Amino acid sequence: MSGNRLEFATTSSTEFVDITSAIQEEIRRSGLRNGRVHLQSLHTTLGLAVNENEPLLLQDFKGLLERIAPAGGTYQHDDFTRRLDIPLDEPVNGHAHCRQLLLSAFATLMVEDGQLVLGRWQSVFAVELDGPRHRRLAMQLEGEFATSRREGTEPLVELELARQLAVDPEPIASPMRRLVEAGGKRLRPRLVQLTSAIGPRNDPLRAAELAAAVELLHNATLIHDDYVDESTHRRGRPTVAAAEGPERAIAVGDYYFAKATRLIAQIGNAGVTSAVAEALEAICASQIDDVALRGTYPGDRESYMRVIRGKTASLFSAACASGALLSEASGEVVGALRRYGDLVGTAFQMADDVIDFSPTSGKTVGLDIKQRVLSLPLIYAAEDRVVGPEVRALLAGSLGDAEVGRVADLVISTDALPRVREEAMMLVEAAVRELDAVELDGLRPALVGVARSAVDRNS
Amino acid sequence: MSAQLQVLEPELDRLEGLWADGLADTYHDYLDTTAKAKLALAAALIEVGLRLQGLGGRAAPPATLLMGDLCLARGSRLLADNASLDVQVAFARAIELLSSKAASSEPAPAARQLLSAALSATR
Repeated sequence: MSGNRLEFATTSSTEFVDITSAIQEEIRRSGLRNGRVHLQSLHTTLGLAVNENEPLLLQDFKGLLERIAPAGGTYQHDDFTRRLDIPLDEPVNGHAHCRQLLLSAFATLMVEDGQLVLGRWQSVFAVELDGPRHRRLAMQLEGEFATSRREGTEPLVELELARQLAVDPEPIASPMRRLVEAGGKRLRPRLVQLTSAIGPRNDPLRAAELAAAVELLHNATLIHDDYVDESTHRRGRPTVAAAEGPERAIAVGDYYFAKATRLIAQIGNAGVTSAVAEALEAICASQIDDVALRGTYPGDRESYMRVIRGKTASLFSAACASGALLSEASGEVVGALRRYGDLVGTAFQMADDVIDFSPTSGKTVGLDIKQRVLSLPLIYAAEDRVVGPEVRALLAGSLGDAEVGRVADLVISTDALPRVREEAMMLVEAAVRELDAVELDGLRPALVGVARSAVDRNS
Repeated sequence: MSAQLQVLEPELDRLEGLWADGLADTYHDYLDTTAKAKLALAAALIEVGLRLQGLGGRAAPPATLLMGDLCLARGSRLLADNASLDVQVAFARAIELLSSKAASSEPAPAARQLLSAALSATR
């Protein structure tokens, strides 16, 4: 059984949000091969439906709902003089509740061979009936899980993570366990494991120890980042800072920073220890630059590239280099993999920026804009001759939901998203070319696959 | 500037303000425990970093936390490049102890005492 929350923002009072690709992405991430996906609306004015995504038909559905339960009708629910304990922000939405009764709050969908079982014209919709709002769907996946995440040596990393978390004091381990168990792509540990099989000294157990430590270190940085960015959710769950306060978040982040560096040092390879330590320093320095650049938001491409190479690419690069060093690969191979990791990490961050503008990604659209996080599509849109002045003017002011929505619409109206996608793909191809010149003991296809999966995401 | 400080200068990039604001004094205090300048600086960075973050007390504002994080990361990198495995492990365990006590809201030993002991660690 695997569970998650699918989150998204709606933009109008009645809206059919196509969540098919977001569900499919969750299936891919979980590794579910054959089984079922259960969906449940967590709201009384949000329904679920399976139907055809054809714009005129969606207008018909809206018309049907309006005829059966008109927005301007009379509803006892809206007579606040007859209700007790009315919150100050209680909406007049009797029509929305009645409409939800016509739909379903639940859905169970079949999965075969890792794919949702849907007819040619079927899409899965979350139906907003009282928007715009931030919405959540509970999702559980059950059945036969058999993807590569659970094949080969990868279970060793999960076992090692569980083993390390089992011996830590509960106030520290519990928040980290929630974060680790919530998922994540595990790209960094995957890179450690792959590259640690390249040289003559291939030790899967030591590689799993290193991979787990790198993942713990990554999560430690996320815990502090979430406090700095005032993020409320990560991987569909409340952040440590939001759930347990900033003091606990700082302590948990520090603990796993220290523990991960200790575990890496105890592996006993000085080159590995230095490679990861240098990456951690680059991450911290770039995070300072990132926050500083929010004063001139959205910044420029040069600053953006400098920041993401430190914040994101450095740990990808160190993961690749440290795995190769652990296996005693040649300096030439270590160098090529270090460059490969840098390029893949940079491409990964660009793809992540694009996802911020995707309504079907499961993430809140425009979150990066709201938090003034550096974003390449936003930089390109701000430089656009037509919409750039409006984008810059909006970003210079306070950013409420309306402004964020408008900025997102403006970005989508330009060529910024395809341009960034194309750049990310070019970086992936450059990363793949780095692998051409060195002997990789048959691991090239797997590394090419990881590189492509870094940008082949739900966008 | 002394020869010792010239060696340290590249390690103080972005931390010049902190150096003048107490990091230098903390560094000189640790020189009483070790003759190795880079290890003394690592210990000082970690002590100052934990203080900046507000570990065990009220959480620092985000910008200050990030500066604290950078101090910890640089201290850790200096240890990785210059310290024995025993010393690296002792430093990490000191931070683990301080942060677990902070998470449990329990009283913790003084960071100075733990980090000074870590500098002298041998198997």
